[in-house]
Amino acid sequence: MAKVTVKLFGVLRVDTGLAASEVSADKLGDIFGFVNEEITTIYEERLKDDPSLERPDVISFSDAIVYINGKRCPRKRQKLSDGDEIWLMSPASGG
Amino acid sequence: MSNLKGYMGKVLRIDLTEQNHRLFPWTDEDRKRTIGGKIMASDILFQHVRPGMKAFDEDNWLVVTTGPLTGSGCPNTSRFNISTISPLTNIVTSSNCGGDFGLSLKRAGYDALIITGKAKEPTTVEITADSVQFKSAKDIWGLKVTEAQEKLPKDTDKLVIGPAGENKVLYSCVFSGERTSGRGGVGAVFGDKNLKAVTVKGVKTVEVAKPEKLKKFNRKWVKTLMTHPLTGRQLPKMGTAGLVSAMQAHGILATKNFSAGRFDGFESVSGEELTAHHLVSNSACTTCVIRCGRAVKVDGKTVKGPELEVLGLLGPNILNDNIENILKWNYELDEFGMDTISAAGSIAFAMELNEKGLWDSGLEFGKTDNISEIIEKIAHREGVGDDLANGTKRMSEKFGGKEFAIHAKGMELAAYEPRRAVGQGLGYATANRGGCHLNAGYMVVLEGLGLDVDSLTPRGKASITIMFQNLMEAISACGSCMFTSYAVFPGFLVEKPNWLLTRAILAAFPYVGPAVNVLNKFTRLAQINIPLIPHSMALNHVCDFHATLGTLLTVGSHGYNMERMANIILGQKAGADKLPKRLTDVQQDPNDPRTKVPLERLKKDYYKARGWVDGIPKYKTLKRFGVKMDKDYYESVVREARTDG
Repeated sequence: MAKVTVKLFGVLRVDTGLAASEVSADKLGDIFGFVNEEITTIYEERLKDDPSLERPDVISFSDAIVYINGKRCPRKRQKLSDGDEIWLMSPASGG
Repeated sequence: MSNLKGYMGKVLRIDLTEQNHRLFPWTDEDRKRTIGGKIMASDILFQHVRPGMKAFDEDNWLVVTTGPLTGSGCPNTSRFNISTISPLTNIVTSSNCGGDFGLSLKRAGYDALIITGKAKEPTTVEITADSVQFKSAKDIWGLKVTEAQEKLPKDTDKLVIGPAGENKVLYSCVFSGERTSGRGGVGAVFGDKNLKAVTVKGVKTVEVAKPEKLKKFNRKWVKTLMTHPLTGRQLPKMGTAGLVSAMQAHGILATKNFSAGRFDGFESVSGEELTAHHLVSNSACTTCVIRCGRAVKVDGKTVKGPELEVLGLLGPNILNDNIENILKWNYELDEFGMDTISAAGSIAFAMELNEKGLWDSGLEFGKTDNISEIIEKIAHREGVGDDLANGTKRMSEKFGGKEFAIHAKGMELAAYEPRRAVGQGLGYATANRGGCHLNAGYMVVLEGLGLDVDSLTPRGKASITIMFQNLMEAISACGSCMFTSYAVFPGFLVEKPNWLLTRAILAAFPYVGPAVNVLNKFTRLAQINIPLIPHSMALNHVCDFHATLGTLLTVGSHGYNMERMANIILGQKAGADKLPKRLTDVQQDPNDPRTKVPLERLKKDYYKARGWVDGIPKYKTLKRFGVKMDKDYYESVVREARTDG
């Protein structure tokens, strides 16, 4: 399995409290299970300080804009390589 | 007076030279043709301006306009507009603001305010429903924005300039509370007229045509805005600052004076960093349900936080990765009363001039310890600040570097690097007020930020740009915040970027050009109201119009063509829709020839679809969209526009 870094940006990071994670996975689609596990752990920790905290939504491949090493990747089955940096982003707009 | 609800029925004209006032004639037919806001202001200026007129002429008018939805109870509608001849661009600028001045102007009984002439000494104008008074502003002349506001009558809403406006910094702005009419140097026109402030006080209410229907309608509208992924989630949680990372990912984050689209230190100046470590609270314009504003601490004081533009342009674009610096500079620029975009763009250009040995202003990429001092020098036009106060275009004419002088028609570009968002590049080049991202049509929202349409293809971009430009023009004229237009995209397109349906729709986008062009040309065909663009229905409930999407497109086209003709009258030349060579001739990625703006190809499509030639509307195009102009006069100004200048 490839050792990759997953970084969350935008609302995904603000909602989950997870900025980055080291994950081992073969394919892009496989990282989401690990990321969601970590998000749950962080949520349970944060819950101790703020019992009213809402559980963040589970992140799935269909929800996130995905970049691998700076390039947009819309394929769930994309094979990963050691050292890949994966960015999961929420859509954004502004002015 | 007006028989239409939503309007107060009067336009106040104030003459600073003669220190008197009267009503300006404006009919219901005028109201229906322009809706209000920036299009109403364009119409007034279009009829007033003449060849050769300049921003600092006594005869230049400041036109402050509201929209019919302002004060009606509709969400996000406290916007007002100031238009005038811009000293920065020498063409019409329209500068929109979310402060409370517009609401109070309507409560005083006026839809708009026209300021003419030039006062002999520093003056404040105080407006109520019954009176207009001219008072000396000698005691507040020289004061920064907040201090000047504090010295003015407390129970009023105000327009105020800072020292930059007094010293005619060409990109100085006007404040209403902490909100700004930022772009195009409106503040310098105030300063030139010796007008430090305008105050207004009113207690009238805005009557609406169908109050019960409007209440029900507004509840739905608020719900749409608050549940949409962009207006209900991203903007409230992160503000526009949330775009920094998305722009980095997409390669459109202006870096080192637009020489690159990515910055290694971007995370330090991102919305994530701002939210996690510096955000005190959200802030909002009155009537806003999005609340994209940020409040932060600077030197222990809670002040307005930065938005995307200043984070990008005083961060990556000058190679600064210290967000605390940006919070401080943003505050300083506000207090001196300067447009953060143009100030930051001018600073970045000066840094590159220095790097290339063309002008040593003391500014250097990555050097941050002298920027506060430079900002103060700009505001007072001292030393190197005098040249910086004239903006990028004039500096390039004096020192060289035109190919990397990042402006369009003299206005500095916003923080979106367009070589990986070529539709945005076309928008920057064609925008009537110059390098403005919003007047451009804001194609980046499609080209990788909100949606993921192929951002490098020119296919279909011209027609979509035109539609967005026209639609945003009309939405602004209503008195609405532009951000309400982001809810136009069905939520699933935004929230489910990798769904097959989403990808299929987005892949088809570049091919819808011909169909969109039919609507752009025959705007009235769109005789429908759609929930995702509720502004037309709002007009019906507030004003009892029979408005549809087609009405918005028609009025928007009218406005866009009229603004363009006003600019031509003022001396804009054929071929003025340009970008600096760095963006059109130099690839952002040396290995990818598509990473530059194919402007000539895009303009060809754009002009054909607009019914323009070399950036000048054909006479029949003006007629199509109801822009009335004497044929001989038209031909004479067009002839002049075709001469070398």
